Amino acid sequence: MTGEYNLAEMDKQIRKIREAAEELLKIGGGIEAVKKNLARLLASTKMLELNISDAKEFV
Amino acid sequence: MAEDQSIYWNPILETLPREKLRQLQVRKFKRIFDWAYNNSPFYKKLYQDAGLEPGDIKTYGDIIKVPKIDKGMLREVQSRPPFPYGDMLAVPLQQVTEFRQTSGTTGTPVYQADTWQDWEWWAECWAYILYAQGYRDTDRVFIPFGYNIFVAFWAGHYAAEKLGCEVVPGGVLDTEARILKMQELKCTAFMATPTYVLGMADTARKIGIDPKTIGIKRITCAGEPGASIPATKKRIENAWGAKVYDHIGATEIGAWSYMCTFQSKGLHVNEAFFLVEIEDVETGEIIDQPGRDGKMIITAFDRMGKPCIRFDSKDVIRWADYTCDCGRTFRIIDGGVVGRADDITKVKGVLLAPTAIEEVVRSLGELSDEYEVIVIKKGDIDDILLKIEIRPGFEKQEADILNRLKDQLRIKTNLGYKIEIHPYESLPRYALKAKRFKDLRPH
Repeated sequence: MTGEYNLAEMDKQIRKIREAAEELLKIGGGIEAVKKNLARLLASTKMLELNISDAKEFV
Repeated sequence: MAEDQSIYWNPILETLPREKLRQLQVRKFKRIFDWAYNNSPFYKKLYQDAGLEPGDIKTYGDIIKVPKIDKGMLREVQSRPPFPYGDMLAVPLQQVTEFRQTSGTTGTPVYQADTWQDWEWWAECWAYILYAQGYRDTDRVFIPFGYNIFVAFWAGHYAAEKLGCEVVPGGVLDTEARILKMQELKCTAFMATPTYVLGMADTARKIGIDPKTIGIKRITCAGEPGASIPATKKRIENAWGAKVYDHIGATEIGAWSYMCTFQSKGLHVNEAFFLVEIEDVETGEIIDQPGRDGKMIITAFDRMGKPCIRFDSKDVIRWADYTCDCGRTFRIIDGGVVGRADDITKVKGVLLAPTAIEEVVRSLGELSDEYEVIVIKKGDIDDILLKIEIRPGFEKQEADILNRLKDQLRIKTNLGYKIEIHPYESLPRYALKAKRFKDLRPH
């Protein structure tokens, strides 16, 4: 069943989200509204990593 | 695996073949071990003293070398900075966004720090639970909980939101107002301790509402073992006309175990997020075979702020010798938490688990939901006093009820009891964790 999911591609897109968030943090100029919202975005991204990225090499 | 993939929150992790799941667990254990060593002064010293360092955990068999922690250690670290958590903390204090504490049932409360990511993780763990119990975005979920320093149903609230449910916070309302609000809003589900769920049913009847007519379809219980005790579960299901599901979690651990809609006798362990080991209380051997009781040693793989690694929970559990038709490959514990290693006590030389008494009391429909057990010592002899209430309308059957109660208690626990009948509704009622077992013997 797990073969029906393209985990490699899903993981690739999750990594893009993390990279984009981290890049935005760098260029955010220390704006609190950017930093704190990104902290939340990255926490949600981590949940995607736990659900998908961690599993990708085991299926 | 069940053909219907929509029953899983995450079909990939929940149906991962066992050997793959084990590989995932080893990798995640290494990750949290290294993180704790590198970021928590407490863990670094603990592991250095044991001669361990990052890289030493290579196989599943290496995990047993890692020192356990216990609640006493969690309390002790709180005397050291940073205030109020102590040096078990693995992140700068300014990253902590959530304070919670344990209820203090077994002593001084433990203060728990969580980062925002940890809090997302709490909700994620609960999302696995609620989804497995049939919660969907069509549910209107009532939370009859005091929203205070105890983690209890906070995470259930956030997880229900994550699933897309409509969540009604029943915070400071009293029990009667909560029932009326659930009725008014046609709520379909709620979460509470089993004691409180039964108390709510009593209150509903007192104000002329049959709980079954409210329209509740599912109830998630936590905080006490009741929903895994068949007689208590049946009593709640009969009162509400709803399915009742148990869930087990703890402030210092996370939400690690749950019943699913397939209603086997046991609870799944979320093995993608937690490592559960069962240790023989006498020998310290790790028990892998089903049916043998031992105490749980648990690791939360992804809780980073204040890691929980090989925590000796003192909860007594056993692996089930059956699987669940739901298709989850997560292992099942039989009957939930069946006792506490520090709760199972010898009375008159016989091992007594308080849950066995509850199973008997709650199986007699003529008795109310409340009871109290007090163990005292008279001279050299232990005495057990069991306080019960008889429901209105059954008073004339007192002698028969007492005989049946005594017989069942002797069969289930091998002990004799002095039984006191108290007026209906005179024993204490509890909204959170009930304290019905009191061992007053000098220790």
